[in-house]
Amino acid sequence: MSKVPESGTSAGRAGTSAVGELPTARQALLAGLGVLFWGWLIVRWSYDRLVAPSVNVTDREPFVPAGPLEGVADALSTVATDLGALGTPIGWLAWAFETAALGVRNLPALAEGALITVQLTVVSILCGLVIAVPLAVARVYGGPVTRWTALAYTELIRGTPLLAQLFVLWFGLSLGPPVRGLPGVGGPLPSAAVVVAMIGFTINSSAYQSEYIRSALTGVDAGQLTAARAIGLGKLAGIRHVVLPQALRFAIPGWTNEFIYLIKYSSLAAFITVPELFRRARDIGADTFRFTDIYAVIAVFYLAFVLTTAAAMRHFEDRTAIPGLN
Amino acid sequence: MTLLAFDGVTKHYGEELVLDAVSFELDRSEVEVIIGPSGSGKSTLLRCVNRLAEVDNGTIRFDGEPIGDTDADELRRQVGMVFQDFNLFAHRTALGNVTLGLRRVRGFSKEEARERARRELEQVGLGAQLDSYPAELSGGQKQRVGIARALAMDPELLLFDEPTSALDPELIGEVLAVMRELADDGMTMLCVTHELGFARSVADRLTFLEAGAIVERGDPERLFTDPRSDRTAEYLSRLTGEY
Repeated sequence: MSKVPESGTSAGRAGTSAVGELPTARQALLAGLGVLFWGWLIVRWSYDRLVAPSVNVTDREPFVPAGPLEGVADALSTVATDLGALGTPIGWLAWAFETAALGVRNLPALAEGALITVQLTVVSILCGLVIAVPLAVARVYGGPVTRWTALAYTELIRGTPLLAQLFVLWFGLSLGPPVRGLPGVGGPLPSAAVVVAMIGFTINSSAYQSEYIRSALTGVDAGQLTAARAIGLGKLAGIRHVVLPQALRFAIPGWTNEFIYLIKYSSLAAFITVPELFRRARDIGADTFRFTDIYAVIAVFYLAFVLTTAAAMRHFEDRTAIPGLN
Repeated sequence: MTLLAFDGVTKHYGEELVLDAVSFELDRSEVEVIIGPSGSGKSTLLRCVNRLAEVDNGTIRFDGEPIGDTDADELRRQVGMVFQDFNLFAHRTALGNVTLGLRRVRGFSKEEARERARRELEQVGLGAQLDSYPAELSGGQKQRVGIARALAMDPELLLFDEPTSALDPELIGEVLAVMRELADDGMTMLCVTHELGFARSVADRLTFLEAGAIVERGDPERLFTDPRSDRTAEYLSRLTGEY
C-alpha cells in the first residue's frame, strides 16, 4: 500500500515548509556568515585568476592584514604572563588570536586548496550518482547476474579503505601519466592527480550512494510499477518514469549524508599529492610547526562546507517535495 | 463477437492451485462481473488477462490471438486495468497520471497529451482537480483518476480489480456511476466486485468463482433468483444478508 495516509485531507509537508516564513535570528546569522564566507571565496578565486594569475600561491597577499590580530595576541599574552596562573584563560584567548592571525596570513593558499576540495567533492558526488542509480536499479530489479555483479561491486568498494583505493589508482595502477596525457588535463581541466582522485571518489561514493538509493527503491510501493506496466510501459520505462522519481526523493536525506561524508573524505586526496585544503594546511604546518593551529583553521572551512551543503539540500528537498510523498 | 476467451486456464502459485481449468468467453461490449470468496483466484484471473501473471496451462485469446503470442506491452495498451488500491503515480498530479501513458506509450506530444488527459478527467467529473496530487484527492476521486488513466490508452477491454473495496461506503456511488456510464457507452468490462447491485443492474454475465474454478456462470438475474448450485445460493444469500 502507498505511504499516503488514507484521510484525503493530508496536505503533506508542503504546508509546513519554512518557505515564506520570516527567518529566525539564528538562521539570519548563519545565512550572513555563509554569504561572507562564500562571497570571500568567490572574490578570492576570481581575483587570483583574473587580476594576479602569475603570482605564486604562497606569495599572495590576504585581503585583510593579519597584523592587528597579531598585535592583540601579543598584548593578551603579555597580560597573561604578568598574571601568572590566573592568566591562563587570557592565554587561551591569545592563542585564539594567534591562530586567527595564522589563518588570515594563509587565506590565499587555503582558498586555493578549498577550490580543489569543492571541485573534488561536487564532481565526484555527481559522477558517483550517475553510476549509483543504475547500480541500485540493478540490485533491486536486475536478474541474478546483474544483481550479483552490482552487489559484488558495492561490497568490494564499501569493504575496503578509501585510502587504499586511492593508492591502488595512483601508485598501483599508476594512472597519473596516462591521465596527464589526456587532452585538457592540467589545462582547462584540473591536474592529473586531481582527476585520479575524482575517479577514486566517484567509484567509492557510487557504492555508498547506491545503497541509499537501493533502500529508497524498496520503499516505493510495488503497485506503482505494476500500474506503470499495466498501461503498457516497459519495465525500464516504468522504473525511470514512475519508481525513480519517487525513490530519488526518498533518498535525499541519506544522499545528503553521503555528500557530507565526501566533503571530509576528500582530504584523503592529500596523500596522492592533490593540493586540496588539507594538504595546504599540512604544508603550512610543516613550514610554521603549528599543525594544530592551522588544522583548527581549516576545520572552520570544512564546517562551513558541511553546513552549506546541509542547508542547500534541505532547501532542495523542500523544493522537490510532493504532497503526501515522504 | 468474442473479444476474450479463456480455454482451460490453469495457474499455480508454487504448490497452490489458484485457477483450475477456467473456460469462458466474453463478447465485445459485454460486462462481466466475477464474484467469489477471497482467495478464490479472482484477482489472479484478471492479472492473467494482461499478463501481469502468466498462466501455466490453457490458452487465453484476446481478439482471436493467443495472448502469449503478442507483445505484453502492446497487449497491456489494449487492456486497461483499474486497481483496488488505485496505484496512482504518487509523484504526479491527476493530469500527470493520465499524460504519462499518452506521452510514453502512445507517443502523444506534450500538448496533445495534456488536452486528451484534461478531456478524460472532465469525463469522470474531475475537471477541477487536474493539478491535485493523489494525496490531495478523496478515495473516490483517486479511483476516478485511475479509470481516466486507463481510458486514455483507448483500451478494448477494461479490467476492474475490486475498484470500490478500498472506498468509504459514501464514495462508492461516484465510482460505480462512472463504470455504469462506461458500460452504457459499450465498453467491454471484466469486473471483480462485491457490488451486487451493480452486478444485477449492469452486468450481462455473472460468474461465481470458488477455489479457482467457475462454480456457476450466467445471466445475473437468474443466478440471484434461480441458482443451480447450492454453493452459489449460499454465497449470494450471505452477500445480500439474507440468511
